[in-house]
Amino acid sequence: MANGWSIIIGLVVVLLACGAAWFFSPKGETQTIWRSSLILSFASCYIMWAITFLAQWHPLIVPRRNDLRAGAIHES
Amino acid sequence: MVHHQDTMFRSADMSMVQLYIANEIGREIVNALGELGQIQFRDLNSDVTAFQRTFTQEIRRLDNVERQLRYFHTQMEKAGIPLRKIDLDVDTLAAPSASEIDELADRSQALEQRVASLNDSYETLKKREVELTEWRCVLREAGGFFDRAHGNVEEIRLSNDNDDAPLLQDVEQHGHGQNGDAERSFSVMNIGFVAGVIPRERVAAFERILWRTLRGNLYMNQSEIPEPLVDPTNNEEVSKNVFVIFAHGKEIIAKIRKISESLGADLYSVDENSDLRRDQIHEVNTRLGDLGNVLRNTKTTLDAELTQIAQSLAAWMVIIKKEKAVYQTLNLFSYDHARKTLIAEAWCPTNSLPVIKSTLHDVNNRAGLSVPSIINEIRTNKTPPTYQKTNKFTEGFQTIINAYGTAKYQEVNPGLPTIVTFPFLFAVMFGDLGHGFLMVCAAAAMIYWEKKLKKVRDELFSMAFYGRYIMLMMGIFSMYTGLIYNDVFSKSLSIFPSAWEWTPESDWKEGATVNATLTSSYRYPVGLDWMWHDTENDLLFSNSYKMKLSILMGWCHMTYSLCLSYINARHFKTPIDIWGVFVPGMIFFQAIFGYLVFTIVYKWSIDWNAIKEPAPGLLNMLIYMFLSPGKVEERLYAGQGPIQVFLVLIAIVQVPILLFLKPFYLRWEHNRARAKGYRGIGETSRVSALDGDDDDSNTLDGRQSLASDSEGVAMITQDIGDEEHEEFEFSEVMIHQVIHTIEFCLNCVSHTASYLRLWALSLAHQQLSVVLWTMTLANGFSATGPIGVVLVVVTFAGWFFLTIAVLVVMEGTSAMLHSLRLHWVEAMSKHFMGDGIPFEPFSFRQMLEEDESAAQIT
Repeated sequence: MANGWSIIIGLVVVLLACGAAWFFSPKGETQTIWRSSLILSFASCYIMWAITFLAQWHPLIVPRRNDLRAGAIHES
Repeated sequence: MVHHQDTMFRSADMSMVQLYIANEIGREIVNALGELGQIQFRDLNSDVTAFQRTFTQEIRRLDNVERQLRYFHTQMEKAGIPLRKIDLDVDTLAAPSASEIDELADRSQALEQRVASLNDSYETLKKREVELTEWRCVLREAGGFFDRAHGNVEEIRLSNDNDDAPLLQDVEQHGHGQNGDAERSFSVMNIGFVAGVIPRERVAAFERILWRTLRGNLYMNQSEIPEPLVDPTNNEEVSKNVFVIFAHGKEIIAKIRKISESLGADLYSVDENSDLRRDQIHEVNTRLGDLGNVLRNTKTTLDAELTQIAQSLAAWMVIIKKEKAVYQTLNLFSYDHARKTLIAEAWCPTNSLPVIKSTLHDVNNRAGLSVPSIINEIRTNKTPPTYQKTNKFTEGFQTIINAYGTAKYQEVNPGLPTIVTFPFLFAVMFGDLGHGFLMVCAAAAMIYWEKKLKKVRDELFSMAFYGRYIMLMMGIFSMYTGLIYNDVFSKSLSIFPSAWEWTPESDWKEGATVNATLTSSYRYPVGLDWMWHDTENDLLFSNSYKMKLSILMGWCHMTYSLCLSYINARHFKTPIDIWGVFVPGMIFFQAIFGYLVFTIVYKWSIDWNAIKEPAPGLLNMLIYMFLSPGKVEERLYAGQGPIQVFLVLIAIVQVPILLFLKPFYLRWEHNRARAKGYRGIGETSRVSALDGDDDDSNTLDGRQSLASDSEGVAMITQDIGDEEHEEFEFSEVMIHQVIHTIEFCLNCVSHTASYLRLWALSLAHQQLSVVLWTMTLANGFSATGPIGVVLVVVTFAGWFFLTIAVLVVMEGTSAMLHSLRLHWVEAMSKHFMGDGIPFEPFSFRQMLEEDESAAQIT
C-alpha cells in the first residue's frame, strides 16, 4: 500500500489540487487570497507529510520497549 | 489608462488628485467623502497655525457643543440614567444640513442652561435639607442634655470654679434624680451654651483644642447621630456628632463659637425652654416635609429632562464629532478668493476614482449648483502612501506585517503568504490534534457570534477576538500537524496498521526488552507510526525527525521569501537587484543550505541496512565540508568530495559579487548619465515652479490652461523643493552593500539555526502534555471502584483546566510569538523594504472607531 512511490503519487495529487485551486478559486476581489492561501496550504501540508514519510522510509533505529505484557505482543 | 484590479499581493495603485469645489458646498462634499472613507487630504496650509485657519471659529463652536453633550453624559451617569446606545453599523445618520447643526447647537445650549439651573436648585435645596436635618438632630439631642444639665448646674459651676475637677463627670450617675431645681435658668447663673454638629473624626481634636484654649472652663455634652448624613456637594456620606457646650461668660462663648466654626462645625440655635424647643422641632419637621416635596419635584423634572436627552444624545454626539472632523478637513484646503472655490489635494486609490467622481457629482446635483465640482488626476513624483485593502479575514494577518513596518508602495505584500505560513509554522510547534481542536472550537465560536462579541470591550478578550481568524487557521493547521505527529492530548491514534511488529527473542519473558522489525515494504501512510509511542527510544527517533523537519521547513520558508525579492526587483525595474543581489544571494544560500537539505533527503531515501554501509552523520559532513574541503570521512554518495569543493568555491565566489557588483554598476550608470549631460534636479538652480517655466511635468498633467490660476499652480508645486531626491553618493552605496553582504551571509547560518526553534517548541509541547496526562488523568484511571469514579471526575476536571490554561493558552501564546519572530526576522529580512507611508484616509467610520469617548456611546 504505502511504499516509496507514495511520495511521487502524493506530489502528483497535490499538484493537481494546486491546479484546481488556481482555476476554481472564486472570482472577484478575493481571488488572489484564495489562490495563494490554498496553494500554499497544499504545499505546506505536502512537505510536512512527505518529510514524515521519508523519515520513516528507511529507519536506522527500531522501536524498543521493555514494559510489554505477553498478550500485547501479538495484538499489534 | 487601464487599471488592473487591486489585490492583496501589492498595495493599491494610488492617484494624487486635485479637487475644485464651490465654496457653498464644501461642507457637504467633505461630509460625503468622509462617509466614503477613500481619500486622504494633504495639508495645503502647513505654514498657517491652527488658530489662523479659516474654520477655527466653527471648530470652537462645535467644541463647545461637544463639551455640553459630555456634560449631559456625566449628569446622566450621576443620576444613573442609561444612555440609548447606537450601532454605527445599523444606524446610518443622514448628513445634517448646516441649519440642523445650528439648531442642535442652540438646543444643547438651552438644555445646558436648563439642566444646570435645575441642578443648582436641586443642590441648594439638598443643602437646605441637610441643614434642617442637622438642626432637628441638635434639637432632639440637646433636649436631653438640657434636662440633665439643669440638674447639674451646681456641679457645672463647681467645675468651672475648681480647676482640678474633672471636665466631664459621669453624667449618667447623677442623671435624673435632681430634677427639682430644673426651673432655675442658665441665664440667671450667667451660663451660656453653644449647640451644633461636627464631623465625627474631628471630635477628638475639637475637644482637645477647646480644653486647651479655655483651660477647662467648659462643660461639653455630645452624642452620635446614628444615621450618616449626605454631603450634597460631593455626594459623600459623613457621620456627625451633636454637641452642646456650656460655658461661663460671653467672651468664652464667643471664643467657642469661633473655634467650632473654624473646625467645620455647623452651629444651630436651640432654645433653652423646653416648650419653645418643642415648637421649634415641630416647625423644622414641617419645613422638612415641604422641602422634601419640592426636592422630589425638582428631581423628577431633572430626570425627565435627562431621560429625554438620553434618547438622542448618542446620535448628537456622532453628528457633532463628524461635523468637527469636516471642518478640520476643510482647514486643510486652500481658498481661492477670486473664484470662490476651495482647492484640495488628496491621495486616493486609483480604483476608487469613479466612486469619488460620482459622489461629487451627486452632491453637486443635490445642491443644484451650476458650477461643477472638478476632480483632476495630477502626476507627481511624490511617494504615494501604501494602502493594503483588507477584509475581516485578512485584517489580522495584515496587522502582523504592519506591526513590523509599512511596506514600500507596491512592493510584494508579505501579508498574503503570511495567511498560511504564520499559522502553519505555529502549528509545527503546537502540533496536537486535541489542542488544535479546542482552538478551532474557540475561534469558531468567536466567528459564529461575531456580531454580539464585537461589542465586548475587554482588552484581553478583544485582542483574542481581533485575531479570531488567525486562531481559526492556527487551530486547523495544528490539527493537521497533530495528525502528522500522531499526538492527541499526548496519546496516539492507530488509524492504519503499523509497519512494525514486535519480534521477541525465543527466551523472552515479561519485563525483558523487545525490538520491533519492519514487516514488509509497507510504511505507515500518514504521520508517525503509533508503534513508536511510549517506546524507550521514541525521543531519539522523534528528535532526529523533528530537527530535520525544522531545517527543511526553514529552508523552504527562506527560499520562498528570497524569491519575493526577485519579484520586487522585477516590479521596480531594477535588474541590478536581480543580478547583483538576488542571484548571488540565492546561489550562496543554496550552495550551502540547499545542499544540506539535499543530503538530508538523500540520506532518508537510501536503505543503509540493505547496502550494508554505515549511515554518515550529516552534521560532521557539513562542518568538514568547510574545514577540510575535498576530504570525505564517511561517504554519502560517489563523487561527494569534488562536488563539495565545487559548492564551497561557488559559494565563496558569490561574496565579492554580492559586495561589488551593485555599487560599481550604480556608479557606472551614474557616470554615464552625467557624461551625457543629464543632471540631478537639485543640482542646478531651478527656475521657480511658480513661473510655469518648469516643463518637468512632475506637476501639471496637460493643464496648462489653468496655469494662469496662479494659486492653484502654487498649490501643486509648492513643495517640490522638498521632494525626496537622492544625490548619488558612491561611499554610501558601498557601505550599505557591505553591511547587506555581511548580514546576509551570516544570517544564512543563524537564520537556518533559528528555525530549530520549531523542533524545540514542539518537543517541549509534546513532553509537557505527556507530563500533564501522567500527573492527572493517569492517576484517575489507576484507581478502581467508587473511589475510582470520583477520582476520574476530579482528575479530569484538573486535567481539562490545565490543558486549556497551560497547554493551549500559555503554550499557544509562546508558539505564536516564536512564529511571529520567524516571520519578522527570518522571512521578512530576505525581501521586505518597508519604507512606506501608511494610507490614512479621511473616514468617519475609522474616526469613530478610534475615538475613546465615542466608544462609550456605541
